[in-house]
Amino acid sequence: MTSWIDLSCILIVFFALAILATYRIGGMIKIFAAQSLTLGLVPFFLHADALSGRDVAIALGTMVLKGALVPYILFWAIRHVSMRSEVKPIIGVGLSIIGGAVLIAGAFWVSLSLRLPGKQASDLVLPCSLATVLLGFMIMVTRTRAVTQVLGYLVMENGIFLFALSLFNAMPTLIEMGILLDIFAAVFIMAIVVNHINEEFEKGPAAVSRSKMGETF
Amino acid sequence: MKNVMLTIFFHWVIVLALAPLFVGVIAKVKAMFAGKKGAPVVQPYFELARLFRKQCVYSRTTTWIFRASPIVGFGAVLLFALLLPLGVCKAPMRFSGDILLAAYILALARFFMITAALDTGNSFEGMGSSREAFFSCLSELALFMNFITLAIMTRSISFSRMIGADVPLSWPHSNPVLLLVVASLFIVLLAENCRIPVDDPDTHLELTMIHEVMILDHSGVDLAYLLYAGAVKLFLFAGIIVPLLIPFRTGDPVKDMAVFLAGMLGMAVFIGAVESSMARLRLNRVRNLLLIAAALAFFGFVVALWRGGA
Repeated sequence: MTSWIDLSCILIVFFALAILATYRIGGMIKIFAAQSLTLGLVPFFLHADALSGRDVAIALGTMVLKGALVPYILFWAIRHVSMRSEVKPIIGVGLSIIGGAVLIAGAFWVSLSLRLPGKQASDLVLPCSLATVLLGFMIMVTRTRAVTQVLGYLVMENGIFLFALSLFNAMPTLIEMGILLDIFAAVFIMAIVVNHINEEFEKGPAAVSRSKMGETF
Repeated sequence: MKNVMLTIFFHWVIVLALAPLFVGVIAKVKAMFAGKKGAPVVQPYFELARLFRKQCVYSRTTTWIFRASPIVGFGAVLLFALLLPLGVCKAPMRFSGDILLAAYILALARFFMITAALDTGNSFEGMGSSREAFFSCLSELALFMNFITLAIMTRSISFSRMIGADVPLSWPHSNPVLLLVVASLFIVLLAENCRIPVDDPDTHLELTMIHEVMILDHSGVDLAYLLYAGAVKLFLFAGIIVPLLIPFRTGDPVKDMAVFLAGMLGMAVFIGAVESSMARLRLNRVRNLLLIAAALAFFGFVVALWRGGA
């Protein structure tokens, strides 16, 4: 089962990298859904020999909440806010990809000196979860639209969740469920925030005056 | 000595005989995806035969470079073929470091193609040359990164060891690395052979294409050589990826060869499916696709180092 865990970890990092390289917000949300579904499979592989009800609950909860519900809410948000579908990165996409590659290498380098308690199912879980967190952080920092920042936050959460899964036995279920609820609440709030922010941007004079300044100076 | 000659000859016969068929299968799959019947899979052979019967027409402004380029291109891929193992057939030429020779043979062919395109003085061909030079720089980065990863895994820098017998058998141990290498190499294959997300092999609209625009002025036998070289190059790139994907060996040469050829057929169908289901990327986004290939290769390299150190 180790090879399947490895595969999922690699895919999760790959999806984070793919989000970083996507131009369309819809595409980003779809990739995020795929990443969450992959993440939902990990508990099955981790405890393949003795599958408990808790594993199934966590896995299904992840898949339904992060793989279906959250993308649905985000799609709802971008449909109803009538925003442009292109992301607006601060740094170019090409540079983001190179930065992402550097971050992945950094995550592996940091993991060299990290020792986790207990026996790990696979030696790739820790570096890959760190890489996902860093890539999510990068998405959050370098993409200016509110929805894309929410997505970056969610990718970061996925990385933390992967990390928590590797310490599964040491952690009570409540914490796991807490993380899921946390995200659920966060998306809800963010969806509303996005709504407001975007409406105000479109009505407000801020954008107009900025472009005028650009012309005169 | 006679034996060596025979191996080389046999290798060339396989490559030259099957390469147009590979292109034909891709075209057939694309036609079927589009709901058409499509040309027979042997159509590329007919087209090559037709071109080989024709005469070449040369512009008065061109020099010997223009005439040399098709021959150099064709010779280069034939030389490249000798360095690659194909299924059970071992590479006729193998030595430590032949991956570098292979990469630079391809670069030589590309250099001649670019200079020949510039030689015509056609501004469209100049545009195509500039794009080809830029994109091949980036795809070479990914290609070499993958070679380094494979070299770390096999502790060898010869094609015969790197994609030869023992690598695919390590799938259970290092499948994430091989997966990344295969994914990255596949993007390189699409870019180097001008397949759809990067370049459309069917279009003849000068403003958007890369490879087709560079061979606009070639005609007759010269064009046949260029098309044949393109087909062989595509076949050989697939021949690098397919052995990495087959995780078992039966031990029987005939069965192994059959599995390899079935894998090549599957690869042709897959390329056709990818080409049918994707649109051409905008030119300024091709760069990002190639950078993703390089990032995947780098990721594979990091994981290989991580595993190698553990």
